[in-house]
Amino acid sequence: MSLPPDPESFRVRPFLDSQTAAPNLEPVEDLSPGLRPFVLTAGRVNGVDPDIDLETQVTARALEARRLAEVPIGGLTREHRAIVDLCAEPVSVAEISAKLGLHLGVTKILVGDLRAAGHLDVHTNDVDASHDPETILRVINGLRAFT
Amino acid sequence: MDFVRSPDSAPTATAPAPKPPIPVKIVVAGGFGVGKTTAVGAISEIIPLTTEAEMTEAAAGIDVPGSTTDKTTTTVAMDFGCVTIDQSLKLYLFGAPGQARFGFMWDDLAKGALGALVVVDSARLDDCYAAVDYFERADLPFAIGVNAFDGRLAHEIDEVRWALAVRESVPVFAFDARHRLSVRDAILIVLNLALERATRGR
Repeated sequence: MSLPPDPESFRVRPFLDSQTAAPNLEPVEDLSPGLRPFVLTAGRVNGVDPDIDLETQVTARALEARRLAEVPIGGLTREHRAIVDLCAEPVSVAEISAKLGLHLGVTKILVGDLRAAGHLDVHTNDVDASHDPETILRVINGLRAFT
Repeated sequence: MDFVRSPDSAPTATAPAPKPPIPVKIVVAGGFGVGKTTAVGAISEIIPLTTEAEMTEAAAGIDVPGSTTDKTTTTVAMDFGCVTIDQSLKLYLFGAPGQARFGFMWDDLAKGALGALVVVDSARLDDCYAAVDYFERADLPFAIGVNAFDGRLAHEIDEVRWALAVRESVPVFAFDARHRLSVRDAILIVLNLALERATRGR
């Protein structure tokens, strides 16, 4: 699913620069007063992609790759575009849902759409990695360092 | 954003989107008004985010927060926070309502979770029964944190343990959901259970 890194991407994705990725805790764009959830998902109620969990990390693909996507960038809905914009830095599905004011189930479906269309990379949770004793120890040590 | 770019990366971002961290998940469960959101907020590096904001009027008559609280709104969906451990590791804390009728959410929440912290108000123990039942059945490591409101417990820890009838291996302890280090210690107890489980090789 993943394409080779695009060497030209820095030209077209200036927002990846850390200056623009300043802490932003405010909702980016609240889409909730928009359409009813079943309209956004074209009537679908079940997540199409079983890989997508709450904490699953999502990133936007490089713009060059997105230009070749199945669904052209111009053909994306407002909700789709808002999701892609949010994913310039790795972000979890739960954060996308909360920041855009989209129902969690709707978010999962839309993220699945964007993955299938080639706009997003969904970094499927490696359960073995997160349940590895080494990983758990790192979390324990990280928390112990709290003051 | 909570993602910290590595110091050696060039100022002009030549790489595509940075490599995402491994997400590690812990569920914080409990009844309405017991301090789940407070606990998540005490340790999270971001303001806890909520997928849905307030208790609906329909639920208002059903879920009466404890008589001792003056809480007027509460979360219906779930709220969550996160702690960046390092660039490749991020801890997510998902606060989940404990009522049985929200059970459909728990499969989603528990999937892939390392463990759960059940937050209990010792004056309203029955609020957490559904959560305890669920995690026992799901075989997810969990610990019970009795939130000491104003430093007071309505019942002793031993009495809480007796009332909940949990296995000896389930830690039951008092903590203060408002204090970062107290919540940190509660999360560490859950992580130690998860570590035991992981090293046993399931």
